[in-house]
Amino acid sequence: MKVSYFETGRYQAPPSLPAEWPMPSGAYDPGEGARVYQGMVDRIGYAEKLGFDWVSLSEHHYSPRILTPSPAVAAAYIAARVPNIKIALLGPIVSHSNPIRIAEELAMVDTLSGGRLIAGLLRGTSNEALTYDLNPQESRERTDEGMELILKAWTEPRPFGWQGRHFRYRTVSVWPRPMQQPMPPTYALGTSREAGDFAARNHIGLGVSYGPFDVMGKATGHYRAECARHGWEPGPDQIIFRANILLAETDAEAQRALEASPARAPFSLGTKVAEALLEVDTRNIAGEARAASINRALPINFVGGPETVIKQIRSCREQTGAGIIDLGFNTPGTTDPGALMGALDLFASKVLPRIRDI
Amino acid sequence: MADSNTLFREGFVDADGFRIRYWEAGSGPPLVHLHGAGGPRLTAAHDFLSRSFRVVAFEMPGFGEQENQRSSSIQDLARTMASAAETMSLGRFNLMGTSFGGKVGCWLAVLSPELVISLVLEAPAAIRPDGSQPVSGTPGDIARRLYAHPELMPPMPPADPVLAARRLALVTRLRGPGRDPALEDCLRALDIPALVLFGTRDAVVPPDMGRIYEELMPDAHLVFVYDAGHAIAAERPEAFAEVVGDFLERNDAFVISRNRTVLMP
Repeated sequence: MKVSYFETGRYQAPPSLPAEWPMPSGAYDPGEGARVYQGMVDRIGYAEKLGFDWVSLSEHHYSPRILTPSPAVAAAYIAARVPNIKIALLGPIVSHSNPIRIAEELAMVDTLSGGRLIAGLLRGTSNEALTYDLNPQESRERTDEGMELILKAWTEPRPFGWQGRHFRYRTVSVWPRPMQQPMPPTYALGTSREAGDFAARNHIGLGVSYGPFDVMGKATGHYRAECARHGWEPGPDQIIFRANILLAETDAEAQRALEASPARAPFSLGTKVAEALLEVDTRNIAGEARAASINRALPINFVGGPETVIKQIRSCREQTGAGIIDLGFNTPGTTDPGALMGALDLFASKVLPRIRDI
Repeated sequence: MADSNTLFREGFVDADGFRIRYWEAGSGPPLVHLHGAGGPRLTAAHDFLSRSFRVVAFEMPGFGEQENQRSSSIQDLARTMASAAETMSLGRFNLMGTSFGGKVGCWLAVLSPELVISLVLEAPAAIRPDGSQPVSGTPGDIARRLYAHPELMPPMPPADPVLAARRLALVTRLRGPGRDPALEDCLRALDIPALVLFGTRDAVVPPDMGRIYEELMPDAHLVFVYDAGHAIAAERPEAFAEVVGDFLERNDAFVISRNRTVLMP
């Protein structure tokens, strides 16, 4: 099992701030923001020394919860300051952006980092559609088309035009191309039938997140069945499972921390907007419809002392086939960086050496 | 043979000893279309293009009721089609070839470059990988080969098995090798603006073939039509007609966008 540390770039919001999304940007403290970014290098450098294989970054907007609206910018900064760890962008929200720009930025990051980029291509959670005035009902098909265009931009050696549904270019010929040829390890991120189909058809990996192992196993099962239909078999390195982890010295201690964690996601949407968004955003797991997750706190898949967590990781591998776990260590409801470093230490000493053979 | 309530009128022209059927609509610069191995087919893209062009869609000899044992080569067939266009007094014309018709179109442009204003190749079969086979079989088989999304398309009409077998034999006899050095040498020297289109989901001719045309031909543009199979104009008619019309109107300058992004002036 390979292990990735999910760097959330978490801003320490004072408790007096309102907790509804979007956070008023006038409440932003530039000094605290600078500390968040400088701290990223300390945390990621530490994860590298502890033996983590990857650091992952994600794209979120208008809130202190994850302060990386442009993950490529964060990745370039990390690439220059942390020498060896693989840098996984999980990922740029494809439906939001100009796909050619994403292809160019990821190629830059791959080159700047000496070929350390892992690329995850993402549709984005429902609330993200509100930031760039994107119709949530179009986000699925914009993502599918954008992902295909990004792969084409990386691999097509001659200039080409693109006559899409959502994107049109008369001439595309990106420079630089990725340092890793023909492309960096690339994943479609999502549990939907469409994400699995796309990944299988294009011989790339799949990343799933946060759900129960058996449910995520349906998504990865669909992906593997589609890969077989396309005549290939993905290895464990081609399935990522992103999850929160709450690791403590003992199960009882972890349970106490779990009980103290909030049920509602920090910086949630207002109720009316959340309800309206639920009506227009459709989601599925391997083709089975499910409601979008809006305002619910993300589940914690790995909870307990080291023995229990190792068993859970084994079960995750068995049920989903994932060979890479991408772990969010920030204990929900707390923003204490000391506790985070402690959790990383505990994981590296008590768990990591015992899951390499899983 | 028509996908839409087309405005096209049927006509016949006698050329090179054949009585050649065609369908025609629109006014403006002439645009001649040479169909694929499955025979003539009018799509909504023809209707869109007929708003700006005088579209003449030929049925090449041997693809309709009449047999064609006479065309001895694909160059021969290209000469016949040039003769048909000349007999109709089209003057210089834009030439669009689909799949097998793309190879006929390449030869027509090479043999009679003075006739051709611009060349459009829709999923052309002039360059094919080893082992590539023409489309045949039941209507369901054909739909699965031609379309990225057969489930979204109207069912293929059942083909007359005698005519289908005759067309397949003719294509097999005339289509030539997958790589034809004589044709490719001529394409290198072809001084005609060309647009090459491939659907990203083409299951008949791999879209990777597109870059070979772009590299060979001095004035060629390659465009991928997202989520279309081999029958691009049938599957994504608006997308096809938009880029083809723009290219025929402006050639190289079609890279300059005229797309307006003003939401609320």
